Amino acid sequence: MAWNIPELVTGAVVPLLAVFAFTLPLLAKIFGEKKFPGIWSLIASVVAAVMSTYIFTVVWSTGKDIVYGFGGWPPPIGISYEVDPFNAVIAVFTAWIMVLITIYSLWYNRHFDEPEWYYILLIGLEAGMLGCLYTGDAFNLFVMIEVLGISAYALVAYHKNRGEAIEAAIKYGIIGATATTLYFIGLVIIYGVYGTLNMGQLSLLSAEIYYRRPDLIASIGVATLLAVSLALWVFTYKSALFPNHFWLPDAHPEAPTPVSAALSGLVVNIGVYAVARFMYTIFGPASTIAPYYRDAVLTALFIMGFAGAFIGAIMMMAQKDLKRLLAYSTVSHTGLLYMALAIGMSGVPQAAVALGLAAMTYHVLTHGLGKALLFMSSGVFIDSAGTRDLDGLAGVGRKYPLVSASFIIGFLSLMGLLPLGGFFSKLMLYQAFMDAGMLIPALAVIVVSAISVLGYAKAMYSVVFATPIKEHREIKLHGIHYMLALMAVGLILLGVLYPWISQGLVHVANSSLIGSGVREYQEAFVRAFHALLGR
Amino acid sequence: MITLSEYFMTILITCMIVNLGLALYGVFFKPNLIKKIIALTILGDTANTFALIIGYRMWVAGVPSRPPVFTEWRSNNPLLLFVFTKTAVDPLPQALVLTAIVIGLAVTLFLVFLTLQAWKIYRSVDMRDIRRLKG
Repeated sequence: MAWNIPELVTGAVVPLLAVFAFTLPLLAKIFGEKKFPGIWSLIASVVAAVMSTYIFTVVWSTGKDIVYGFGGWPPPIGISYEVDPFNAVIAVFTAWIMVLITIYSLWYNRHFDEPEWYYILLIGLEAGMLGCLYTGDAFNLFVMIEVLGISAYALVAYHKNRGEAIEAAIKYGIIGATATTLYFIGLVIIYGVYGTLNMGQLSLLSAEIYYRRPDLIASIGVATLLAVSLALWVFTYKSALFPNHFWLPDAHPEAPTPVSAALSGLVVNIGVYAVARFMYTIFGPASTIAPYYRDAVLTALFIMGFAGAFIGAIMMMAQKDLKRLLAYSTVSHTGLLYMALAIGMSGVPQAAVALGLAAMTYHVLTHGLGKALLFMSSGVFIDSAGTRDLDGLAGVGRKYPLVSASFIIGFLSLMGLLPLGGFFSKLMLYQAFMDAGMLIPALAVIVVSAISVLGYAKAMYSVVFATPIKEHREIKLHGIHYMLALMAVGLILLGVLYPWISQGLVHVANSSLIGSGVREYQEAFVRAFHALLGR
Repeated sequence: MITLSEYFMTILITCMIVNLGLALYGVFFKPNLIKKIIALTILGDTANTFALIIGYRMWVAGVPSRPPVFTEWRSNNPLLLFVFTKTAVDPLPQALVLTAIVIGLAVTLFLVFLTLQAWKIYRSVDMRDIRRLKG
């Protein structure tokens, strides 16, 4: 038989990362070099990034989804990965940001007394994230959420002799494990109702019942709604949507800085992605929970998103700790992402829904890059000043002009200033709400952005422009400031290339999450089923 | 008049629902970390039992279900296979439960480690003594 390279690459990414992770301690013992685990982890992340880029180019150029059935079992029987443009884009972004985070971790290495454990967990985090993105099986999503979860809890608790780190990890871990167990219960309900856990088949069955057996919707709809509600808790928990945001502001100050960057810039996107997958691909506008239950769920998501965006923006002003301030900014931006996600209610024209989902993806990119940049550059300042307190950080930015410039560009992008990515993603979101005829949500986007300006201005002022009250320690940058400058340039490019990016993302939304895109997801499943059976 | 199996099934389902409520109460409102972890394991076990019940199918009334292991495959008799598929329980939830148990073990172990670490630092496993962060 002929090898199908894209399928094999899709199947290989996550197991390969696991191999990288679990050979690390042995190799670290053999080489005995303190830098080795970091370099090994950098190799792993670069390999994953190249593979995910390859997968993306294949999906993008052929316009067909890739389905890989593990062990040669056809999709509904075995576990399968399914890649469509939407998760391919987010996976490419995640993998490349993880490369940057690993490089930053190498610079940050002196804070780690046992680097091999840190890097195992970092690779585990990446494997969990890519697994969550690529998987086409709802139960495999549960497993991958646990992989992601355990790595994230352990990374938060990495400084295990600090009480606050342990406390933050306990808070995050116990509620996270509870939420994941409830997702398992939701999955069991889904299995009991539909007899399958494959996302493609669930989507297909749900649409078939909607079109062919509308009499069954009344009974199946309630059970599905229950399952979806149980499932959404863990996703909103991972993405720190209000009121599940409480772990995030605690976890960030205590976690090592690169981990904060990964948690805020990347892990929150996984939750948003999973909710989009559930609410658009599997249980879309033509499904067993449509239209009333689905509208109710989306409205609830919208309200929580707005509350989170608003409260995050308000709380940001009250913070004295730089990392806590950035954490509340993440809560605020996650809220915006969920507001964008909730646009697909019944009666909204499909073009507006596509625009809204494209705006959501755009915001995932600009916020993820901006937040990773901000955490990494604030790590430089915090090291130099020896404190996270905004008063103690006064004027530290003057010592590092390039880092400060990137820091300010990151803030301006999150704030939504004109030539930068953040402005255009918010503009697109506003436009989508206007097209959908939702005036109040459109205004809410502007109000939330306006409130958050105060918090950002405060942080920028005290770190860069305030007069230093004490002499700050000079630390060696080892060229890390060039990487931060590169990320700032990336933010500018995300803004300058707006016409092309927005077109591309609308295409992504159209070809993955609505109408023909969902049909392609179902057809790819059917094709893989026949191809593997007919061999 | 209910049969014995219906009686036991009712008890099982009632216990499961009570357990679910108790476990969630324990996880959220018990201040002691060890009790929180115990509540979490109870929640996990309840979820696993629920999965097994979903997989348990009384295909034909009066005929007890059997384990999903097909032992007569050598005989090459399609009738045996037919009878098997009509009486065996669903194996997939059992596979799911197996995975969930393994994952639950890892999570529990990690949480126990955190509790131990909290004990070393604070000399207490009570969340009210540990609470330093604002939230």
